[in-house]
Amino acid sequence: MIKAMFKTREIEWDRWVANAEKHPDKEAIVHWVAGEEPFRWTFSSIIKAAESFAVGLKKRGVQRGDVCAIIIRHNKYFYPIYIAISSIGAIPTVLTYPNPRLHPVKFRQGLEGMSKRSGLDWILTEKAISEVIEPLITLENSTIRGMLFPTEWEKDLKFEGKDLENIMQVRASISDTDPVLLQHSSGTTGLQKPVLLSHKAVLDHVTHYGKSINLSPEDKIISWLPLYHDMGLIAAFHLPLAFGIPVIQIDTFEWVMVPSLLLEAISKEKGTLTWLPNFAYNILANKIHEDELEGISLESMRMFINCSEPVRDKSHKLFYKRYKDYGVKPESLCACYAMAETTFAVTQTPPGTAAKVLRVKRQSIAKGVIELNGHNENSRVCVSSGRTIDGCEIKIVDEKGKYLNEGMVGEIAIYSVSLFDGYRNNPEMTVAVLKDGWFYSGDYGFCLDGEYYIIGRKKDIIIVGGKNIYPEDIEDLVNHVKGVVPGRVVAFGEYDEEIGSEQISVAAETKITNVAGHKKLKLDIIKAGMTDDINIKKVYLLPTRWLIKSSAGKPSRKANKERLVVKKEIIIWS
Amino acid sequence: MITEKFKKVILDELNLDDFDIQDNTTADQVPGWDSLNHINVILALEKAFNVHFKGIEVLRCKNIGDLQNLVNTKLNQ
Repeated sequence: MIKAMFKTREIEWDRWVANAEKHPDKEAIVHWVAGEEPFRWTFSSIIKAAESFAVGLKKRGVQRGDVCAIIIRHNKYFYPIYIAISSIGAIPTVLTYPNPRLHPVKFRQGLEGMSKRSGLDWILTEKAISEVIEPLITLENSTIRGMLFPTEWEKDLKFEGKDLENIMQVRASISDTDPVLLQHSSGTTGLQKPVLLSHKAVLDHVTHYGKSINLSPEDKIISWLPLYHDMGLIAAFHLPLAFGIPVIQIDTFEWVMVPSLLLEAISKEKGTLTWLPNFAYNILANKIHEDELEGISLESMRMFINCSEPVRDKSHKLFYKRYKDYGVKPESLCACYAMAETTFAVTQTPPGTAAKVLRVKRQSIAKGVIELNGHNENSRVCVSSGRTIDGCEIKIVDEKGKYLNEGMVGEIAIYSVSLFDGYRNNPEMTVAVLKDGWFYSGDYGFCLDGEYYIIGRKKDIIIVGGKNIYPEDIEDLVNHVKGVVPGRVVAFGEYDEEIGSEQISVAAETKITNVAGHKKLKLDIIKAGMTDDINIKKVYLLPTRWLIKSSAGKPSRKANKERLVVKKEIIIWS
Repeated sequence: MITEKFKKVILDELNLDDFDIQDNTTADQVPGWDSLNHINVILALEKAFNVHFKGIEVLRCKNIGDLQNLVNTKLNQ
C-alpha cells in the first residue's frame, strides 16, 4: 500500500517531479495506437518533455492563471502538454475534438458559449481545425487571446538564466488552494458547467480514492476513456500520475471501432484496473468474435469499475459469462458513483468484493420505502455503487431537504473534502445545487447496510454511453425543423437492452400526414440532431394535439414516453 | 461501388427508410451511424455477407467505399 503523503503545501507538479526522481525509469503513460508499437513515457521523460512545452508556453505569453483549452486528438504529446500547462500555474481544460458530423458553425458556437462560461484564454489545438476556431479570436469581447499548436514545437527546450529563476519563483508561489484544472460537468458543448478544482482537492481525492481501491505500486491502469470526461481525467490520468503507477491510454475512437483493443492491452500489459461505463460491458460481452480473443488473459485484473451510467446487473452477468474462462473473477466486477463536482468518486465497492445486488419491490420504490422482494417478477434489480470513500459523506434527503433514514428513497446530497467551490462564472446555478457545504446531486437513491444504490434522477437527463445529454437541447434543435409543430416536441431516453445504454428518442407533432412526407421529416429530424453531434435513434411522428401536456403547459416527457414506449399506443392519423 | 444489398443492410440496421450512400460517403455523414451504433453496423454486414473483419481492417477504412471493398475482397477469398 502507498502511504498518503501529508505535507503542509503540496501542488501536483511537486508530486509529479518527486515521482520522476523516485522512479525515473518506471513507465508513466503508455500511449497505445492500434497496429503500432506503443510509445512509452517514463516518469522522468514525461517531465522532461513537459518542461520543454512549458518553455514554449511561456515564450508565447501564457501566464499563471490562464485557462488553456486543449483540443487535440489521441497524441503522445497530449500528456506532457497538459502537465506543462499546470507546471507554470496555468489551468488546463480538456475539450472534445470536433466529430466530423458536428457542423463547424455549431462547434464554433459551442466553443464560444464555453469560452464565455469558462473564460478560456488560450486554445491549444491542431492546425487541421484552426480555420474553424480562428473567427472566435477576433470576435468582439472574446476571452480567447490566441491559438497555439504545441505538437509542432521544438521538443528539447529548457528554462535557462533569468527564465529559470522566474519559473522557479512562479512554481514556489503556487498555493495548494490555487486551481489546478477545469473540468466540465454534464451538458452539450457550450452549455456544460465548468468546475474548477484546486491542487488540494485533486491530491486529497486521489489519496482517498486510491485508499478505497487499495492502490499499490504494482497496479497498472488500462483506459480508453476520453480525457475530457472526469472518469478519464481523474481516474486514468491524475490518479496514476500522482501515485506513480503506469496507465495505458487507448484512443477512444479506436476502442469504439475495435472494442477488443481493451482486452488486448490488459493482456499484453498485465493491467489490474479499468473504469468503464455500463454499455462497455455489453459491447465487450456481445460484440467481439471468439477468434479476437485468442491468447487473451484477463487474470491480472483486480477491478473492472462500472461508473458514469446506471449500473446494470445484467451487463455484469453477460460480461462475466463471456470472460470467466479468460480469467475474470466475479469479485472484480464492482462499481463507483462519481461526478465532476466532487472531483470524481463518492462511493466505491470495496476491493475483493463484487458489487452487491438487491431485488426490490417496484411498488415500494414508488412509495419511497425499500422492501426486498426475493426473486419475484415484480421486482427491480438494484446494483450497489458501494460505500462512501474517506473524505466523503452522503445524506439522503426528501424534497424539503430533511434527512431520510436507511431504506428510504430520496435525493443524494454529498459533502466531500474535494468538493468544488461552485460553477465558474455561474452563481445562480451554483446556488441551486450547493447548500451549506452540501452538493445536491439531483440523483435519487437509497442507502442499505451502508451501501448506496442510485436508482434515478431528478431531471430528465439522458445518459448515452456515459455522456449526459439534456432533452431541452435536442428539443430546441428539432423545434426548428420544417414540418414540426413548434413547441410540440419531446425528447427522452429509451434503454437499449442490447447496447446496455440509453438511446435518444424524439416524439414530434406534425401536420404532415402522407408517408413520403413522414419519411422526409423523420430524416430531417435525425439530421438536425447530427448538426450538434446528437444521435437520434428513434423518431415518433404524431398528429397535432397528441402529446400530453404537463401542469406547466409544456408537453410532458415522462407521460408521453409512457404512452409511446410502455403502453405502445397506436398513433392514429385523422 | 456500393451494392444494393450492402446499402440495404446499413439502412436496415440504422432504421432508415432511405439515404444516398456513395463510395466516398463517410460513416459520420450517415444518420444514426455514431460511435455507439458503429459496431452493430459492422456486425450486421458480417452476418449478411457471411464474412469476418479483423479490427485493424475496419480501422483502415476511410469511407464506406473502403468497407464495401473489404467485403468484396473477403467474398473473393
